Amino acid sequence: MSIILTLLRKEYLIFKCDRAAFALTFLVPALMIYIFGMVFGINRADTGPRGIPLAVVNECDNPAARHLVDVLRAEKGFRIITTTTPDGGAERELEAGDLKPLMRDNVFRFAIVIPSNLIETSSPGVNLKLLSNPRNEIETQTVNGLLQKCIFSNVPQLLGQSMQASMKSMLGGAGKDKFNRNIAGAISESFGVNESEVLRELEAGNFGFDRMTSRDGDAADGGKTKKGNPLGELIKIENEQVVGKDVKSPAAARNVGAWAVMFLLFSVSHLAITLFEEKRAGLLQRLMSSSVRPSHVLWSKFLFGVLLGLVQLMALFCAGRLLYGLDIVSHFGQLLLMSAAAAGACAGFGMLIASIARTSAAAGFLTTLLVMLMSCLGGAWVPVSFMPEVVQKISVFTIPYWVIEGFMQVFWEGGSLARLAPTVGVLCGITLAAMSVAWWRFKRGTIFEP
Amino acid sequence: MLSIRSITKRFGGFTALDEVSLEISPGECFGLLGPNGAGKTTLMSLIAGLRKPDGGMISPGKSGARASLGLVPQNVALYTDLTAGQNLEIFGKLQGLRGATLRERVGEALEAVQLSERRKDVVKTFSGGMQRRLNLAAALLHRPGLLLCDEPTVGVDPQSRNAIFDYLGQLNRDGLTIIYSTHYMEEAARLCSRIGIIDHGKILALGTLDELLALLPFEDEIIFPNTSETKLFAERMAPHGKLVSENGAQYRFFPQLKLSEFYRRAEELNLPARLFAQQRPTLEAVFLHLTGRTLRDTK
Repeated sequence: MSIILTLLRKEYLIFKCDRAAFALTFLVPALMIYIFGMVFGINRADTGPRGIPLAVVNECDNPAARHLVDVLRAEKGFRIITTTTPDGGAERELEAGDLKPLMRDNVFRFAIVIPSNLIETSSPGVNLKLLSNPRNEIETQTVNGLLQKCIFSNVPQLLGQSMQASMKSMLGGAGKDKFNRNIAGAISESFGVNESEVLRELEAGNFGFDRMTSRDGDAADGGKTKKGNPLGELIKIENEQVVGKDVKSPAAARNVGAWAVMFLLFSVSHLAITLFEEKRAGLLQRLMSSSVRPSHVLWSKFLFGVLLGLVQLMALFCAGRLLYGLDIVSHFGQLLLMSAAAAGACAGFGMLIASIARTSAAAGFLTTLLVMLMSCLGGAWVPVSFMPEVVQKISVFTIPYWVIEGFMQVFWEGGSLARLAPTVGVLCGITLAAMSVAWWRFKRGTIFEP
Repeated sequence: MLSIRSITKRFGGFTALDEVSLEISPGECFGLLGPNGAGKTTLMSLIAGLRKPDGGMISPGKSGARASLGLVPQNVALYTDLTAGQNLEIFGKLQGLRGATLRERVGEALEAVQLSERRKDVVKTFSGGMQRRLNLAAALLHRPGLLLCDEPTVGVDPQSRNAIFDYLGQLNRDGLTIIYSTHYMEEAARLCSRIGIIDHGKILALGTLDELLALLPFEDEIIFPNTSETKLFAERMAPHGKLVSENGAQYRFFPQLKLSEFYRRAEELNLPARLFAQQRPTLEAVFLHLTGRTLRDTK
């Protein structure tokens, strides 16, 4: 027993001395729990998506249409966009014709058009048009759910108005008034309520449909109402997918890039950490005593990181093609460019970590912490639109955000090289900044000293 | 000639080298003997141009020295996941060797350190001694004019150590200048034509083995065990020479009286002559004389 206790104490003493192990055991999980809690809105009273951009074009001058826009605007899940500022022009109201180009540019991924014929006059019903870019499956389903909630809360009035309009069309104004009076009289007589009050409600379109809409359902599933919901037949939502219609394997196109970037960050960062092992073994000392310079070592590490990352990404995309039918052939040039930019940024990140850390243990700790954090914040695990708005703003400072964005542009939007240029530019900027800081740190540090 | 003039190197408030001056002649095998932390590795790194001195000058300088310099670091500085051949090819290429010359030099180096048959084996499967031999070979591919060996036999078995010494001896006879740092006096005595004793960043003595031994005020060294029987004798002998207790296990005595008198006094206490091992003083005694400590005490 005393032997076990002695060994137990030895384990404790070693553990206590290993700051990286200590941090990984206690501090990192606590920090991650805090950050993930913030990202996923744990303990927040109003959880759920925040500020998903939704363009709204209202072509109808009916007050109910304006009410529908107000309902959408009140929904926290959406950030309603009703105006646009064309290049070099003044801000103006969005028009239906503006929507598709802006969606292709990813300014917003969802748009709803309230047409001038919102309320049918020939037969009872409500017309809406939904345009979508379902590049993210979870986000798309969420948007549909939110739209359903908003539309259905507003539909009873719309439907009632539609019925009144239909009656007027079929029976004429006098016939419609007579019908309303008869119905109001019957209700008053049957239920003992005030006839004039009932008549006013009927003329305003309130037929009591709100009680029907209180039933569970997900009628706005892509614009098709659920079977069994009586309103489903009356609400006509024309759904149009603007981007990604021809993508062969949507789920793979959405996810493979996100998975790949996390593993890329881990593998390339590990490569930079080998600098510490080379120093410990005296290899850097041996290299420096020959004609090798620190810059040679750093650039060779970086370039190998880029090549390794490039090969790793291409291998993962090939696996994506074999397993899920991911289309990597149609836009191979763009994919190669984007992969190289991603690998460069990740390799630069690895060099930055190696330059900041003092030991390989510290570098390993930092890598684990930052890669997980960046993957989470950058949208590799859940869509960025599900995070609080403040976190969404932080997301753009992470490598995964831009890598995922770039791969989505390649796989989902089939973007041209010119279209990819801004994203590639951002990643090249990250690479340049990371390498500059790394070089500066290495010059000031002791890694190349014996 | 390598000329080191008043070199000083500080790390914060700690002075690792303090006004060290040395002249190393071409073809010389110079030993740098001192305990751990004496400043040997710092001096080696300054000669190799890996660090800049805070004061003084080394001639030829960094750029001139590098081309004709081979460094055998204290650690086994090899890519242990690669084969012996791959390691030497990499280091050879970094030294500017190419094509047939590179292949030839790699073959020669492996032959010289008796590792030809293990050329295609991964280094991590080698014994410590084999790794040390390959470590040495990697520094010689470009046929440097000056070889810096920084404690190259640490943790090496006697057989491999002998193989390394034989090889270094041969290289030195062929004209290679060697600076060999060690804390093993036997190594310095066996290999080096001239030795510098260094401690606390200062060269305490410099010369051939005989010149260093001549610094001693005594001619003999007697070693005897530290037991209850010998303790009284040791106390009585202390005023008649220099007495050092080594780790409480044995005494090292440098008598300043005649040996016949020493043994007579031992006999008075019934201590048999077989307890006493008499030898010529070594570099250890020189170090002790200069510093008041043994090399072993300071490791």
